[in-house]
Amino acid sequence: MSNVNELTVDRRLCKPPMVQIQAASRRLGGHQVLKDVNLSVSEGEVVVLVGPSGAGKTTLLRTINHLEEIDSGLILVNGQMVGHREAGDGKVSRDSARGIARKRQGIGFVFQHFNLFPHMSVLENICHAPIKVLGRSKAEATATAERLLERVGLLDKAAAKPRNLSGGQQQRVAIARALAMDPALMLFDEPTSALDPEMVGEVLDVMRELARDNMTMVVVTHEMGFAREVADRVVIMDAGQIIEEGNPKEVFNAPRHPRTIEFFSKIL
Amino acid sequence: MNTDLNFDTEFFWKHLLTPTDAFIEGLWRTIYISVTAMLLALIVGLVVALMGRSHFTVLRWFAGGYVWLIRGTPLLVQLVLVYSGLAALGVYRFQDIMVSGLVFQGVVQAAIITLTVHEGAYISEIVRSGIESVDPGQIEAAAALGMTPLAAMRQIVLPQALRTMVPPLGNIFNMLMKSTSVLSIIGVSEMFLVAQGLSATTFRTFEIFLVVALYYLALTTIWTFTQRAIEIKLNDQVGIVRSESMIKKLIGRRPIRIEAGV
Repeated sequence: MSNVNELTVDRRLCKPPMVQIQAASRRLGGHQVLKDVNLSVSEGEVVVLVGPSGAGKTTLLRTINHLEEIDSGLILVNGQMVGHREAGDGKVSRDSARGIARKRQGIGFVFQHFNLFPHMSVLENICHAPIKVLGRSKAEATATAERLLERVGLLDKAAAKPRNLSGGQQQRVAIARALAMDPALMLFDEPTSALDPEMVGEVLDVMRELARDNMTMVVVTHEMGFAREVADRVVIMDAGQIIEEGNPKEVFNAPRHPRTIEFFSKIL
Repeated sequence: MNTDLNFDTEFFWKHLLTPTDAFIEGLWRTIYISVTAMLLALIVGLVVALMGRSHFTVLRWFAGGYVWLIRGTPLLVQLVLVYSGLAALGVYRFQDIMVSGLVFQGVVQAAIITLTVHEGAYISEIVRSGIESVDPGQIEAAAALGMTPLAAMRQIVLPQALRTMVPPLGNIFNMLMKSTSVLSIIGVSEMFLVAQGLSATTFRTFEIFLVVALYYLALTTIWTFTQRAIEIKLNDQVGIVRSESMIKKLIGRRPIRIEAGV
């Protein structure tokens, strides 16, 4: 699954890929943040994006659920454009706020700074969107939330307020909150970067388990150990471009691109 | 110093403890005009603040112009313009109307409308800064969960903004209650105007206005405690543990803290 051509064949034989990014570019005030990026993620695949800061990893991740827009190119999630819609005559236009919101429901996003809702309890944080957005009953949403909290090991914190939890606990709640929407795809934006070192493990454990359960995941991280162990594919970015990709063994043991070699020499 | 103070103690206590019916009516008018104007001004302030964030330039201009105009002119002038000015111009004359058997005086209508428009401008600025105080990450988190911008504003941003908005809003309400005394100029017989009448007939100016001052103080004191209760409730909501009471802080006696888990 490391080769782009194999993926193309894969796509024709099976379902379309979960995420398909074609020639995506984004410019921000004279600076090319993304430059002609092509990437495709199949169902059940764990893709880890690594690279020096400012390489465009986070921007790329955020364009997948349209938290940021691209200037040109195409991004499809589950065969659909998140930020745009296609009319019957093939004309593409910006989708309505409601349309974009509906398509985001199936994409979980975990933020570097957790972004839990401080005015709600842990349980309410997880139940809120399933009830308000998906229209589930309170009983059903609560049952799901409790099951998820158990899975991330925080059932005893259901009534607590986010500010009274540790960073690691908050991030596990944030993961549970995203999972409560039954996403087909989970995006992680440096989920452990804001954590104290001793809390990184508990969050990575939850992510590891998710990967084992065949969740499709795109992860931006600096945790090379995690990338090596969990990723199906590692994608290296530099200056807004993908410079190298492949399975972790290949990439970590025998990097080809000089910038990759330079990057690894600094961090490994 | 003149030891023979011309202070009628008996008169003072009588009016403080057993105010006349007219005085109580004036007090009541002060209260309901303040509360009604505040509630309406909250709605106006919220709407104007949201207009100020709109994608539509016209709405943003309207919001900016409204705040500029209202904050730039005195309440007293606005009051006279609305009540007397509009009538003199022949545009609109406020009439008494009957609402389910109760007379709703034209001058009170004008007072409530003017106070609403006046305070709405200040409140819109408070709402604006309240919204801006909420971490943009909250809007992103709501968006990522599939919430529309409107739902995110209502369910996620505004409840959080409220916590930072309560102290300045409390200030506004406190000042609003006191500025109702200005309404006497257009003839709203609220507490101040009733007192002026009593003062004119009894010449007990100091006593009667001391009573008035104490009633205003009572109103604002009740509000101070109410506001504190609201703040504590909103702090509870985000899990901030209640700090020791003001009185304990003033006396300086520190309660013995028991560490959690001991």
